[in-house]
Amino acid sequence: MFLINCPYCGERDQSEFSSGGEAHIERPKQPTELSDDEWADFLFMRKNIKGVQFERWNHSHGCRKWFNLIRDTSNDKIHGIYKMGEKPPKV
Amino acid sequence: MLDIKLPEFEKKVYPDLELSLLEPSYKINLRGKNRDFFTKAGKLLSIMLPIESNTSANIKNINALWLSPDEWLIYGKDIDKNLETNLNNEISKLKYGSVTNVSDQWVIINFKGKNIFEVLSKGSPFNFNNFKGKKNVVVQTLLNHVDVILHHQEINDLNLFVRKSFSEHLWLWINDSSRFI
Repeated sequence: MFLINCPYCGERDQSEFSSGGEAHIERPKQPTELSDDEWADFLFMRKNIKGVQFERWNHSHGCRKWFNLIRDTSNDKIHGIYKMGEKPPKV
Repeated sequence: MLDIKLPEFEKKVYPDLELSLLEPSYKINLRGKNRDFFTKAGKLLSIMLPIESNTSANIKNINALWLSPDEWLIYGKDIDKNLETNLNNEISKLKYGSVTNVSDQWVIINFKGKNIFEVLSKGSPFNFNNFKGKKNVVVQTLLNHVDVILHHQEINDLNLFVRKSFSEHLWLWINDSSRFI
């Protein structure tokens, strides 16, 4: 368990949030031109690394807003939080 | 046909804690973010929607709770019935934002007394240390795994909003917890 500083509501317990997986995955501009493997790669394949990862989170039991979070998956240390549409800070 | 029957909870008194149902109450969910939305809402409600997070504003019998940067809950007793129509005409129909009557979706339970936060702390992950010393503050959190909105309107006087379908279960849990403070 860890605390997340929601950019809208402030510091809250992790149980109020839902993880949305890896962040900054862009939807292909022409999906119809992709092969099945490329499309499946976009839809399903995520890094899930051990170390610093950029993730999307949703404050599902609070303001219900999405935001981005930089988290070290090995120790749950949070290195940065920024709103959707903002550029990620340097880590 | 929708079942709009409200629960019937009898007032309960525990040491330094009083629980009662604050129904029927009028509740409207407002969503919008442009300048026209704020102007129209302010004019019709005679209240400026709070833009600071986790705060509320009130005037006479109307309370406006901040829920997110573009969402507010307006509630109160004895609100003019034309208010919803006016909000719909001036905001929803002109596409400045959305107006939804949620009176039948949320149930308000009023807490009074010094032991409010002793009970809430038993089932909520929220840290009430700063919250309990301030009035007109709002928080959306979990209580016994149920989504709730807490409006601390006066010190040791709090309104808890819970979805109607969860209200009976939560009411029983609150009463059970209150017996062991």
